[in-house]
Amino acid sequence: MARKASPARLVIALSVAAVLAVFLLYTSIAGGGNPSIAPSELAGRAEKVRLVGLVMGPVRGDAHAGGLNFKLRDIGGGASTAVPVRYAGSVPDLFKVGREIVIDGRLRNGTFVAERGTMITKCPSKYAPKRNGDPA
Amino acid sequence: MAELGSAALLVTLGLSVYALVAGAAAARLGRRRLALSAQNALVAAFFSTLVASAVLLAALVDSDFSFNYVARTTSEALPTQYKIAAFWGGQEGSLLFWLLVLTAFGALAVRLNRGWARDLIVWAVPVFAAVAVFFSFLVVAVASPFQTQPPPPDGTGMTPSLQNPYMIGHPVFLYLGYVGLTVPFAFALGSLLSGRTDERWLIATRRWTLFAWAALGIGQLLGAHWAYVEVGWGGYFAWDPVENAALMPWLAATAFLHSVMIQEKRGMLRVWNVLLVLLAFSLALFGTFLTRSGVLNSVHSFTQSSIGPWFLAFIALTVAVSLTLLFRRLPQLRSPTRLESPVSREAAFLYNNLLLLALCLTILWGVVYPLLSEAVRGETAVLGRSYYDFFLRIFGLPLLLLMGIGPLIAWRKASLRSLVTTFRWPTTVALVTGGVLVVLGAGSSVPGLVAYTFSAFVMATIVTEFVRGTRARKALGSASWPGAFHSLISRNRRRYGGYVVHAAIVLLAIGIAGSSAFDTVAEAKLKPGQSMDVGRYTLAYRSLEERQVSNATEIRATLAVSRGDRDLGTLEAGKNAYTIEQQVSNEVGIRSDRLTGEDLFVIADQIDLDGSVYFRVFVKPLVNLIWMAGLVFVLGSVIALWPDAREQRRLVARAREVGVPATR
Repeated sequence: MARKASPARLVIALSVAAVLAVFLLYTSIAGGGNPSIAPSELAGRAEKVRLVGLVMGPVRGDAHAGGLNFKLRDIGGGASTAVPVRYAGSVPDLFKVGREIVIDGRLRNGTFVAERGTMITKCPSKYAPKRNGDPA
Repeated sequence: MAELGSAALLVTLGLSVYALVAGAAAARLGRRRLALSAQNALVAAFFSTLVASAVLLAALVDSDFSFNYVARTTSEALPTQYKIAAFWGGQEGSLLFWLLVLTAFGALAVRLNRGWARDLIVWAVPVFAAVAVFFSFLVVAVASPFQTQPPPPDGTGMTPSLQNPYMIGHPVFLYLGYVGLTVPFAFALGSLLSGRTDERWLIATRRWTLFAWAALGIGQLLGAHWAYVEVGWGGYFAWDPVENAALMPWLAATAFLHSVMIQEKRGMLRVWNVLLVLLAFSLALFGTFLTRSGVLNSVHSFTQSSIGPWFLAFIALTVAVSLTLLFRRLPQLRSPTRLESPVSREAAFLYNNLLLLALCLTILWGVVYPLLSEAVRGETAVLGRSYYDFFLRIFGLPLLLLMGIGPLIAWRKASLRSLVTTFRWPTTVALVTGGVLVVLGAGSSVPGLVAYTFSAFVMATIVTEFVRGTRARKALGSASWPGAFHSLISRNRRRYGGYVVHAAIVLLAIGIAGSSAFDTVAEAKLKPGQSMDVGRYTLAYRSLEERQVSNATEIRATLAVSRGDRDLGTLEAGKNAYTIEQQVSNEVGIRSDRLTGEDLFVIADQIDLDGSVYFRVFVKPLVNLIWMAGLVFVLGSVIALWPDAREQRRLVARAREVGVPATR
């Protein structure tokens, strides 16, 4: 069944092409996102990463003067997975020992130096209580 | 009582299965009485779900902690309104709420349309029933809200951040929206199943789609406002997966609302519309899956639960069945007309659709990117704010411009001359506005400047349309200007309601651009007596005090605010420490300027023992336009949704004319 080519098809084809072009442009400029990893996977990586882990005490220092120092360990992992973290900037309300946080930064001389103001805490109180087997 | 609830849900499941099986058989074999019985089963399923909901609600209000759900989500001391809100606050309850709304919408939509679209209805009923079977199966077998236990002395209570008036509205609107999208989906599928692939399913579900879409929009704005005033990080939207989960179906539904008009008027885009409805519905399911499965890192972390795989399976089944059906009906969905020119209203609507869809899919890509990268690269990677902001500008700004062009450009083929006459004034207004803004210094942000120029253009077209229409009605013999205006709107509610919604989107765009592109931030650690400057404001930190209220300790810093020589009074910012929950929450101080729509937003980020406070202060110009946009959005939606018997008759008559096959 031969149909005359309709402008609709051309328009759609061009739009798809345009979208793809924009995508390529974006990925070439901005890269494909930051890897999100657990503290135990951090060793030996120098690039910027997003660290997801559980806060371990003691928490020392001042987030607005010199930085907050604490350790972060794997969610569901032992203390051996912990890495020291230094963070400056706004500290979310829910930050405390035992809480899951997400933080951006990179490893420098064995300490994970976080970017200013990137800390996010995950809501602790799931909207229902923890069950057995839930991490932390 | 829990037994009654469980039994009622079991009845709902049974009725839904019956409605599915009997409904499908009746439709297949053309048995009218059986079809009627399936419809009645759907209505009855609503009532049994209502009984179950009443049982749960009574248990919540009475604090009957022998219900596991009640003990987990409330406590004795919780105010009654939050006990009620706990109905949709937890997973099991929210699934029940979904089922309740679903059966209500299904029964109502079937009843309202059975007079004139019977052959469509008989197939829509089993589709509704299939969705109801899925949800009632979940609440019966996987996540029952009626599990009992030996009652503990008190419940574990509700998270403080949920004890907020927004908790009563925000989730309800979102659910109404999510579930409402089932109605057009069921009718679209019904239309494919029945082989009556005309425009009637659109007419039958027009208001439902509009309603679902408006509810989703309102729900999201409420959520944004909640985040802004309560969560207190200085923003209102963070491209969090759960926020995106509501935004994606809304964008798909927005595209659908527009392309529907092209199908109604010109019979085009038939396959496209079915695809959009399918997309919107699947995204609504996907949203529930996202929020409830815990598969992604989100600031909203809900219970991680076992319902995730069920949802994935159901989504996969929905998509597979719908696409198969669509493919089989393709020959009947051939459009009788085609696009004549790339410069026409049809084309403008098509571009709008493609942009909306592109935005929707890039967001979807961002949401699932962590999962995909984990599967491909073996480690999770996330796309941050810059990714979303980039695409919001790339696709959002042309969309904004199209909002001014689409409704005014001629059908079929627009000539150059008509383009010039139509858009002469709006273009002038836009260029002048842009020029004035550059002079005023708004050129600091190019996307912001472009957004404002386009906004001026769209506003000018809307005003032109209202003025022109009102003049025409006056000329046709309306007694007064207000009378002419009223008659203009009431004669074409969808069109003028649509313009009002467009105006709301423009306000939203101005607010978003203003508060993000032109905001000012300052941070400082102050001792009492010290002060800081932010923009044109000066804030003097006066004192810190501690108050004890029933459930929390409130710490508040008092700041005296002034601008130039003018004293603007005081502002309080601080923290609440909740005793029982052992949580701290920021309580921000906001001063809104009614005249300019600018907010001064103060966060007491860190309070030291010596009384010094680390303040973060934002000046957000025009942010209040976002909330005003919400009100205008509601107004426009109400205008468009207002029952209009005349229009419905006209559409029905046209659908009949366009040739409903005269079988049966």
